[in-house]
Amino acid sequence: MMDPPKSNRPNALWLMSRFAPHLALFGVLIIIWELLVRTGVITTIMIPKPSSIGASIIDLYFVSGTIWPHFFITLTEAVLGFCIGAAIAIALAVGSSLSDPFRRYVMPYAIVMNVTPGIALTPVIIAWFGFGMGSKIALAAVISFFPIFVNTLTGLMQVDNEREELFTSLGANRFQIFTRLRVPAALPLLFAGLKIGLTTALIGAVVAEFAQATAGVGVLMNRFSFQLNMGASLATLLSMTLIGLILFYSMEFLDDRLVFWRREERREAVSRKRARAWKRRAETSGRTR
Amino acid sequence: MEQQAIIEANDPGTAVVAGSNVGKTFANGTVVALDNAEFTIPKGKFVSLVGPSGCGKSTLLRLIAGLIAPTSGHLHVHGTQVAGPRQDVAMMFQRATLLEWRTAIENVLLPTEIAGNVEDADRERAMELLHLVGLGDFAFSFPAQLSGGMQQRVALARLLQTGADVILLDEPFGALDEFTRERLNVELLRIVAEVGATTVFVTHNIAEAIFLADEVYVMTPRPGRIAKVIDVPLERPRELAIQTSPEFNHLVDEARDVLGAH
Ligand SMILES: Nc1ncnc2c1ncn2[C@@H]1O[C@H](COP(=O)(O)OP(=O)(O)OP(=O)(O)O)[C@@H](O)[C@H]1O
Ligand SMILES: [Mg+2]
Repeated sequence: MMDPPKSNRPNALWLMSRFAPHLALFGVLIIIWELLVRTGVITTIMIPKPSSIGASIIDLYFVSGTIWPHFFITLTEAVLGFCIGAAIAIALAVGSSLSDPFRRYVMPYAIVMNVTPGIALTPVIIAWFGFGMGSKIALAAVISFFPIFVNTLTGLMQVDNEREELFTSLGANRFQIFTRLRVPAALPLLFAGLKIGLTTALIGAVVAEFAQATAGVGVLMNRFSFQLNMGASLATLLSMTLIGLILFYSMEFLDDRLVFWRREERREAVSRKRARAWKRRAETSGRTR
Repeated sequence: MEQQAIIEANDPGTAVVAGSNVGKTFANGTVVALDNAEFTIPKGKFVSLVGPSGCGKSTLLRLIAGLIAPTSGHLHVHGTQVAGPRQDVAMMFQRATLLEWRTAIENVLLPTEIAGNVEDADRERAMELLHLVGLGDFAFSFPAQLSGGMQQRVALARLLQTGADVILLDEPFGALDEFTRERLNVELLRIVAEVGATTVFVTHNIAEAIFLADEVYVMTPRPGRIAKVIDVPLERPRELAIQTSPEFNHLVDEARDVLGAH
């Protein structure tokens, strides 16, 4: 395998040589699959030809565009559910990290919620919130709660005795120790939790759609499967992958921005930015004086 | 009132740190970390605490810093009793304890931020201090971009940023290699003299303790005690080469005798 070029951005040639083998393997697998179906080794009822999945993709995504309204509904459900779940999880984790009694009251419920399969709540949640988006958002919130709660709490409970002693010796109060030491130190774990939670939220939204819904990619996929239109069904599945990727990489991006001190290039970039900001301030305050 | 008399007897005019009958026990009195410590440190003096592990060096430092309270006796800094962390005392640890999400200069500014608002003058002072410890060019580097020795320099600049004139150092360069440690020790002497601070320095190393100090407190464990105070009459500024002189070796032997006899 070739080493990446020395410049920060990989060039097109390097990218091609890097990914060509993967593309080739993917192409070969698709061709074998297509041949197996065409020669009748696999029946079309069960598994569609890659070419018919391709045709469905072109129709659903580009010609009729049927997929898009459902795509955005599911995306919205997952994101809103995640936001609600994350807000509650972070609030409870902060409370639990600040107060031992509070944590002792919250913990049993959080654990019971975790060991109960959240997905099993689907019928109940649909009964409470109806067939619309409400029930999808609620289920997404419920099952994304725990990973975020546990990771945030673990992060906030990490104690570095020497650093706490440093803050104490500087006369810092509890609030200052919390905001300037505990929270930044917890950020890496918080983001690990958010990444898991976001993917979990999508599962919640889709499962609730499978159960009972009027719109969303889950509904669409159900419909195609009942019609035994396997090509369209799998083409719809692809949209869930797409939503998953969008969600995961937006969180990855935020992680990279906010927890910048863990990666060398980001550290260097932020370091240069802070140096420029310092200089600018020194210049302006010099002028006003 | 009785201990007040003792402190005055120890010359209250120049004593910056004074302890009378200071004791600290842990585990319900079963571990005597420090027993009946009596000492006075005059203004601007450099005191080394030396002794084997567990003899109460860190305990004494943390008592002076107000991080823990004595179980007996009294401690005074600048004539007032130590009742908790205070502005005129600052401490530095074996680990640099920098915040890795802050640049060097932002780490130096932490004490100012905790005490109140950061003004332009504080920023200028922080930058001067980074130059003083030889890191002017690294003000915007993150701790991960700095070597262990450079990180300790940032921690030293942060300590000076507090403006405290009593400086407590708990094996500050103990985790560094010998070359770096010797160089930083020489720089420490220069910097401490420049800001006129009263310093207490903890180390395991007898030669290092003597080289740096005006007075060496030799401590022994179980119970933790100040077994002997050795006066170091060597002239300043000191070169590293004095460590081979007969006077220096005589002082080393004196300390060894106390520790060996224990
Ligand atoms: N928080 C604590 N709880 C219980 N025992 C303690 C505590 N702090 C110190 N001790 C005990 O007090 C004694 C002195 O400890 P101290 O840390 O002051 O030693 P030291 O001279 O700094 O040792 P070292 O050179 O290893 O750092 C030890 O026996 C230690 O176990
Ligand atoms: Mg110690």
